[in-house]
Amino acid sequence: MKEQIKDTLYSVAEEVLEKLAFIFSFPEDERDQIDFDSAVAARVSFIGPFKGTLVMIVSTQALPELTGNMLGLENNEETTTEQQYDAVKELINVICGNLLPSIAGKETVFNVDPPEIVKYTDDVLKPFSAENGKPAEPASVARLDLDEGECDLFLFVDGQLPESAD
Amino acid sequence: MAINVLIVDDSGVMRAMILKSLHMSGLPLGDVHQAANGQEGLDALNQHWTDLVIVDINMPVMNGEEMIDRMRQSNETKDIPIVVISTEGSKTRLEKLKQKGAAFIHKPFSPETIRDTIRNVMKLGGDDEGTN
Repeated sequence: MKEQIKDTLYSVAEEVLEKLAFIFSFPEDERDQIDFDSAVAARVSFIGPFKGTLVMIVSTQALPELTGNMLGLENNEETTTEQQYDAVKELINVICGNLLPSIAGKETVFNVDPPEIVKYTDDVLKPFSAENGKPAEPASVARLDLDEGECDLFLFVDGQLPESAD
Repeated sequence: MAINVLIVDDSGVMRAMILKSLHMSGLPLGDVHQAANGQEGLDALNQHWTDLVIVDINMPVMNGEEMIDRMRQSNETKDIPIVVISTEGSKTRLEKLKQKGAAFIHKPFSPETIRDTIRNVMKLGGDDEGTN
């Protein structure tokens, strides 16, 4: 089950990055986590047959191309921080929207919160820590290398995934 | 026939992407107005003649589903064709949107999908294709 979810997370993220931002991405499962000091994080929470949160972390060096591509700008046109944040929020929103029915089935109904930018600190994943103080284990992680920069995705599920979720 | 379009989405980047796709589609565009939520969308409909509404579902203040319901309750807006562009993947919810008379495009989308869906919902033939 866990491997299936991981494969789904990778394939959905790769497809959305390519179709929405015209960015090719490559799985790099073994590499280290993105440097927290030079990245932007967004998260979106959901509730349905199971509930949880998807976190997306993108290195800042990837943001100009990613945002420019989505807006259809020329290479020499600059993007604002607000546009870059908006682009990351839209990407995680679309990834989450495509991921959940792929995991739980198209008959299921999820309520998805609006995506939000997480002000980036070392404890960006702290809200997902378990009650005993230990960091919560994500149900799945995808690490992608982009043309410029990197993108990490963490899927946190509150409780157990239902057996039928495949 | 130039099509006056209202794009309703809380993401400025997504509105820009939809607008870019409309320009690439070759459809004869007239005035294009934008709104960031359903309430702003209804306000824009009161101010501008609109032939087509393209609307997201999950938005703050007023979501797309409520906006569609309000449009269908008003004599002035009940017959305006609606295309929903959303990440929604639930068949149950998509069926509800269809019952409200809205066409649906799933994100991520291609300009061709937007063109074909709009042609279909507005009953346009190939002769109406623009040159832009």
